Amino acid sequence: MTTSDSISPRAADLIDRAAAPWRSPKWGAISSLGVFALILPAVLLRFGAGTFMVHLLISFFLWSVVAQSWNLVLAVSGIYSFAQIALFAVGGWVTGVLSMSFGWNPWLSLALAPIVTTVAALIIGLPSLRLRGVYMVLLTLAFHELLRNYVTTGPRVISGGGYGLIGVPRLDPGPLSGFSHLVPSYYLALIFFTVATFAIWWVFQSPIGVAFAALRDSEGYAVGRGVDQFRIKLFLFGFSAFFTGLAGGLMTHYLGSISQSIFAFSVLINVLAMIVIGGWGSFGGPIVGTALLLGLQEGLRDLSDFRTLVLGLALTSVAVLAPSGLWPIVRDGFRDFLDESADVEAESEGGRALLADIGDGSGNDSSPQSATPD
Amino acid sequence: MRLFWLPTSDETDMSQLLQAAWGGVLAGSVYGLMAIGLTLIWGAVRLLNLAHGALYVAGAYAAWIVIDLGMPLAVGIPAAVIAAGALGYGMHATIIRPMLGRPGWDSATIIATVGVAIALQAAILLVFGPRVKQIPAVIPGSTVISSVRISYQGLVIVLVAVVSLAALFFYLRSSRQGMAIRAISQHMDAAALMGVPVQRTYALVMVISAGLAGLAGVLLSSVLFLSPTSGFTPMIIALLVTIFGGLGSVKGTIVAAYLIGILESSVQVYLGGAWALPALFIFIIFMLIVRPSGLFGVPEARRL
Repeated sequence: MTTSDSISPRAADLIDRAAAPWRSPKWGAISSLGVFALILPAVLLRFGAGTFMVHLLISFFLWSVVAQSWNLVLAVSGIYSFAQIALFAVGGWVTGVLSMSFGWNPWLSLALAPIVTTVAALIIGLPSLRLRGVYMVLLTLAFHELLRNYVTTGPRVISGGGYGLIGVPRLDPGPLSGFSHLVPSYYLALIFFTVATFAIWWVFQSPIGVAFAALRDSEGYAVGRGVDQFRIKLFLFGFSAFFTGLAGGLMTHYLGSISQSIFAFSVLINVLAMIVIGGWGSFGGPIVGTALLLGLQEGLRDLSDFRTLVLGLALTSVAVLAPSGLWPIVRDGFRDFLDESADVEAESEGGRALLADIGDGSGNDSSPQSATPD
Repeated sequence: MRLFWLPTSDETDMSQLLQAAWGGVLAGSVYGLMAIGLTLIWGAVRLLNLAHGALYVAGAYAAWIVIDLGMPLAVGIPAAVIAAGALGYGMHATIIRPMLGRPGWDSATIIATVGVAIALQAAILLVFGPRVKQIPAVIPGSTVISSVRISYQGLVIVLVAVVSLAALFFYLRSSRQGMAIRAISQHMDAAALMGVPVQRTYALVMVISAGLAGLAGVLLSSVLFLSPTSGFTPMIIALLVTIFGGLGSVKGTIVAAYLIGILESSVQVYLGGAWALPALFIFIIFMLIVRPSGLFGVPEARRL
């Protein structure tokens, strides 16, 4: 039976809205957030500490995309890949080497960074995505270690004699060149964050996201219904690598350098903690986690060793005690602002309407009761 | 990991071969101790313990404290085993027991053990500082057999490791608890229905596995240096060994440990130390494509 024939128009409308939320955007919330983000640097840069705040915001925009795309791979699709920082580094090194040592236009080399990163991810993914869990952990850690080895001991153009790339040219800001470099960097990072976050949100709602929910809830049934695990895993792996590589490239041009210290275990752990503490597998979790951890990182700068200890304990406690992380709390707190409560009601109302329709549709020959012989 | 020397140019082929073999046996013994712990936990509890390297370091530091107090290494070794075993029991009580049977076991336990690894490493760094330490040899000195230098400490390591592995093998095969562990690895629900105490057996597996990691830590740290982060590479190699041997297979793990040890040692002798880890990784990737379930592993569609 087709859905649209057998249920009332009102229920169909509500279900459509719940299934495709991008058709009814919340313009109020979006435009107020947008205006706020656009005028923020103009306000902040008037204060002495504002420069640092803008820097922190740029870091937030870039790292939260890395955390979001890793969340997509690690938590949503269950690929235990620890190669995300290595992919970030691929993006950074590609654009860094091309623009610094080969004299490419930074914009051109930046455009190449995500492409090369995606290709690298597909090369890792093709042999390994059919394997599971522990194998993937090992192979991706191996990729991380081998890449670290290569950029430390490799050719001088790449290793910079062991110091990494220093003095990577900045992106040409065009019409914004009158301002300090923070301003164009801020807007570029903001655009990148918005586009990437929207794309990731779209994946959560798309058939691919639904397929992963189905795989999580009942793998056998999902595969039986024709969900091709390998193909969608490969797609997600490449998709997340694209944004991670671009984030790496943007970070390299913004900071003007990238060094081997990006491969430090603590960086990997930091991003992992952003995902876990924020909310493993949820859409908003990594964003909340990134904001929290970047804030803590700056707040607790003097306590660096204790910070690692606390981070480790926090990871374990969240995993054991509160597996869904902070996101549910934050989401409930902001529900009124984001006006999501109406949608939740709409969804359940749609569900009730659908149930009522199915109950009423007694003449339907596909209902189980009529299929049983009398 | 570079366990020993690199060859000089005037050495003969024969002595190179002997050197590779001896280095392989030595490394393989220690990897066996590390990997058997990982494979036991994996087999019985279905837990990938990424804190194994931290337990290794914790054991070694426990031994270092004991030796620093003026006691011999003969006391330090049991101290390492006990300290690491106690930590293993702590992990059982705080992670495995509360989380058992919950949805999302795989990912949640990986995160939890990563958290334990970081916290333990940071705690050790805070207490002992970043400077490397060394654990003295049980018997100092060495002998030269056909131009291959064999330290007495190396012989002690191989002896302790082989005795421990053999004891563990017979313990698993013949004792009541060993049979309980094997029963749980094969089918947890059936074992529980037959009256095997599941929680107690899990605790036992964690303690044994952590104790072995501590033992490996103190033994290997008498050859290598000891620092808060020195457990990472042994853990990665132990992971390679467990995968190569077939996850959950004790016999496969022991065979794989010596094969990997000899492979690594040969690469070090013939190609140079820097190639050891990349060569192992490439070997394992190739191996996974050809035979995904390892040497002795049971082929299985779902793993972790």
